[in-house]
Amino acid sequence: MRMFHGMVLSRFAMEIATGCVTALAGAIISYGATEFGTGWDDAGPQPGYFPFYIGLLIVLASLGVVAQAFTQHRRTGQVFLTGEQAGRIVAFAGPMVAFVALCVLLGLYVAMTVYLFAVMTIQGRFKIPLAALVSIGTAIAFYVVMEVWFQVPLLKGPVEAMLGIY
Amino acid sequence: MENFSNLMTGFSVALTTYHIAIMGAGVLLGILVGVLPGLGAPNGVSLLLPLTFTMDPISAIILLTSMYWGALFGGSTTSILFNIPGEPSSVATTFDGYPLARKGQATHALTLAFLSAGIGALFGVLVITGLSSWVAKFALKFSSPEYFAVYFLTFASFVGMGSASPFKTVVSMMLGFGFATVGMDTISGSLRLTYEIPDLIKGISFLIAVIGLFGIGELLLTMEEGLRFDGIRARVSPREVLKTIATLPRHWVTLLRSCLIGCWMGITPGGPTAASFMSYGLAKRFSRRGKEFGKGEPAGIVAPEAADHSAGTSAMLPMLALGIPGSATAAVMMGGLMIWGLTPGPMLFIERPDFVWGLIASMYIGNVVAVVLVLATVPLFASILRIPFSIIGPVIVVVCFIGAYTVNSGTFDLWLVLAFGLVGYVFKKLDYPIAPLVLAMVLGDKAEDAFRQSMIMARGSLAVFWSNGLVGTIMTIGVLLLLWPLLAAGISRVSGGFGRTPSIRLN
Amino acid sequence: MNSKMSIAAAVCAVIFGATAAQAEWKPTKPVEFVVTSGAGGGTDTFARTIQSIIAKNNLMEAPVVVVNKGGGSGAEGYVYGAGNAGNPYKLIFGTNNQYLLPYVAKLGYKPADMVPVASMALDEFLIWVNAEAPYKDIKDFVDAAKKPEGLKMGGSQSKDTDQTLVSIVQNATGAKFTYIPFKSGGEAAVQLAGAHIDANVNNPNENFGQWKAGMVRPLCVFSANRMAAGAKVAGDMSWSDIPTCKEGGLNVENYQMPRTVWLPAGVPDDAVKFFVDVLTKAQQTPEWKSYIERTSQTDRFLTGDEMRSFVKADEEKAVQVFKKEGWAVQ
Repeated sequence: MRMFHGMVLSRFAMEIATGCVTALAGAIISYGATEFGTGWDDAGPQPGYFPFYIGLLIVLASLGVVAQAFTQHRRTGQVFLTGEQAGRIVAFAGPMVAFVALCVLLGLYVAMTVYLFAVMTIQGRFKIPLAALVSIGTAIAFYVVMEVWFQVPLLKGPVEAMLGIY
Repeated sequence: MENFSNLMTGFSVALTTYHIAIMGAGVLLGILVGVLPGLGAPNGVSLLLPLTFTMDPISAIILLTSMYWGALFGGSTTSILFNIPGEPSSVATTFDGYPLARKGQATHALTLAFLSAGIGALFGVLVITGLSSWVAKFALKFSSPEYFAVYFLTFASFVGMGSASPFKTVVSMMLGFGFATVGMDTISGSLRLTYEIPDLIKGISFLIAVIGLFGIGELLLTMEEGLRFDGIRARVSPREVLKTIATLPRHWVTLLRSCLIGCWMGITPGGPTAASFMSYGLAKRFSRRGKEFGKGEPAGIVAPEAADHSAGTSAMLPMLALGIPGSATAAVMMGGLMIWGLTPGPMLFIERPDFVWGLIASMYIGNVVAVVLVLATVPLFASILRIPFSIIGPVIVVVCFIGAYTVNSGTFDLWLVLAFGLVGYVFKKLDYPIAPLVLAMVLGDKAEDAFRQSMIMARGSLAVFWSNGLVGTIMTIGVLLLLWPLLAAGISRVSGGFGRTPSIRLN
Repeated sequence: MNSKMSIAAAVCAVIFGATAAQAEWKPTKPVEFVVTSGAGGGTDTFARTIQSIIAKNNLMEAPVVVVNKGGGSGAEGYVYGAGNAGNPYKLIFGTNNQYLLPYVAKLGYKPADMVPVASMALDEFLIWVNAEAPYKDIKDFVDAAKKPEGLKMGGSQSKDTDQTLVSIVQNATGAKFTYIPFKSGGEAAVQLAGAHIDANVNNPNENFGQWKAGMVRPLCVFSANRMAAGAKVAGDMSWSDIPTCKEGGLNVENYQMPRTVWLPAGVPDDAVKFFVDVLTKAQQTPEWKSYIERTSQTDRFLTGDEMRSFVKADEEKAVQVFKKEGWAVQ
């Protein structure tokens, strides 16, 4: 992952960014709460009362975080993420996101086989027969335990349908 | 003494070869469901339920409860080894269990967890045996204001002192409350914060958040540091187990306190989750090594485990005596009781003493059987850590997502886990505390319901929280605990300020 | 999802040959029982009882898988059903919330997204008070509730069957109740036993244990006729000794909750017929009779048009209340 080489994400920038995102989340919560009445009537707080103030508190505390970032993390040279670290994260998280997308399309069993096989051969540099054995074996083991023993159906896709399983 | 003779009759029912065999089978199945992703005690028990329709009720309940004990122990295993708590009540175990395992002391961590859990469970059964009639009446005193007071006390004991920025603690905890609000509101029946997205109607499951925050978040952190599990050599030897047993007496204060908290919360019934969090919080606060908590402190494993299990066992009493299920698993068992033709409630003790006392006796034996069996599996599970990371890493990912899928059988939750994973990673790197978020998600909606029910009962008057001795006492203890750091600072100033200076940060 | 499933069904049909398609519809893979309540709830026991009856009596070759989807008062399960249109492998178990929930909350499904299979029993509602309470009968109780401070009435959930009944009683008598919603009928039962509330309107099964132990007692049942006789429950009282509310002078004759089973809309008619057959057989077994007896429900089995007209009448009655109370969102 050479593309991140030399790049550095500073802690200060990340503190500000996170503060902004949580403030936005707080605003969305407060906004969602206004639909239900945010006051206090004779039967106590209305449905929107707690969410509204929860959202408001998040916004205020997030602003506090941002302010604190200026006093504590500005120009300190603290690093949130180096290029090298980012590369490692992407190398791990990329296949994971692809795995989730594959789950939604093809079901959990096929996706886990493909994912385990790909990670073992490409990143783990295992030999193909061993990787195939482990990945297919894991899928079958999960199938037997979940579907056959405990009758908990997991997400299945077109491949299982073609094979006539469930 | 009447209880004692009843118990002896109970033992004569429970101590048959057939029942011991059932216990062993139940415990082993339970450990399996506890360790497997997405299968918890409630699943396990409901899957076994159809099998028990043809059994005698005593054998059936022994099978189901043994499975429950096994699943509780199994759940602690994944908390410690992979940072993925199988049940809400084992979240607090991850705080110190996982770091200790990462230090290469997985065997030590697991053994400690199982032993304290076993002691907690036995303590719980002892309390049930001795106090059954008195305790059943006590639980009836609890109404919404008392429940709110208990949840308030849990928050107060857990969130008082921490090293994180107070702003970050507030953000984290309030986000937890916000997530807990999503979905149907019990009190008004309206759908809150769903923004017309059908997938949000059911709310955001606490388990999804935990799998993302702890499981995926931790993996991202591990990867980024370039650390790999295969660098850790988990020492696996039976001698390690024995050594850990020898260290146990050192924790007797923590054990006793945790067991008492657990029983109190199990009976009242605040539940095992509140118990484990409260116990962890108090252990941290009153320990001389408070700063070591979260970095693999043994007492940080002992406290939540002992409280969790003593609450879990003593919660069986309200279920049997009053028909209040303290947990999802207890609810399923109650369903079983009805299918077998028994009615949970005060009359059960009078009409079917053989059943009730047979069950109580089986809880003694079952927990001993469970501890022995689960200790035998320690080397097996600890050796999992020896598998190369490029295999076990992706397998943990798969395990996390299988677990997430089984919560609601929906694909939306898979994306949610990814999102929570990112939040967990960023929050940990920026020193946002994650525990308050989780605690708020678990107890937030319950606390809100109890508060609003109290307000409806009292027509909007806050005085209801000091309206009788019971609720007033719990609330006052809560307020004192919240103010504890300030009080402690005052005391140490008065006494000349020797010893450790407590941090005065209120967050 | 739907297109995937129908492809799957089509593929199955091809694999298993055209002969199967000619014959009556029959499940060839596990059937999912979708329970619109959490584990341990009334609907859960209902679905699992059916599951155990089917297994014991071999009423169906395909295995049964029970899935709990109780989020949002059961809306989660119905949304799931609506999302599986045309899939005959999802049998949805519920109550009258299937057609009433969409009136009081904006949800992601319409009642018409599911077709009725059967209504298998009617659960009764009673007014219960604490055993120590001074009210001898329903008249005493209503009089007490007419005082300015009113009485505290607990129930399960908000704007659901319990609260609807409380507001019907309120309108019929002019009494004043403060309604306190709890998570379940079981919680409302314990709160009544502890005398934290003045009354609840629980189903028989939810208060059975406490009544037996003499902690609570029933005042009257909201039914046209008294309940079926059975063994003595508390003292010399059995279920049939409880007067109907009408007898006691409370002008609310009938209020019952059906235990319903649905299939997603768009499934083949043969599939509906198949499950109607299975459920008809199930409700004739002794196991079903003992379930009915144990939970003190009324044994009334409705399918097809009978069920449709029951649903329509029940819906109209409830919607009147929703409109009056201002709960309706549509």
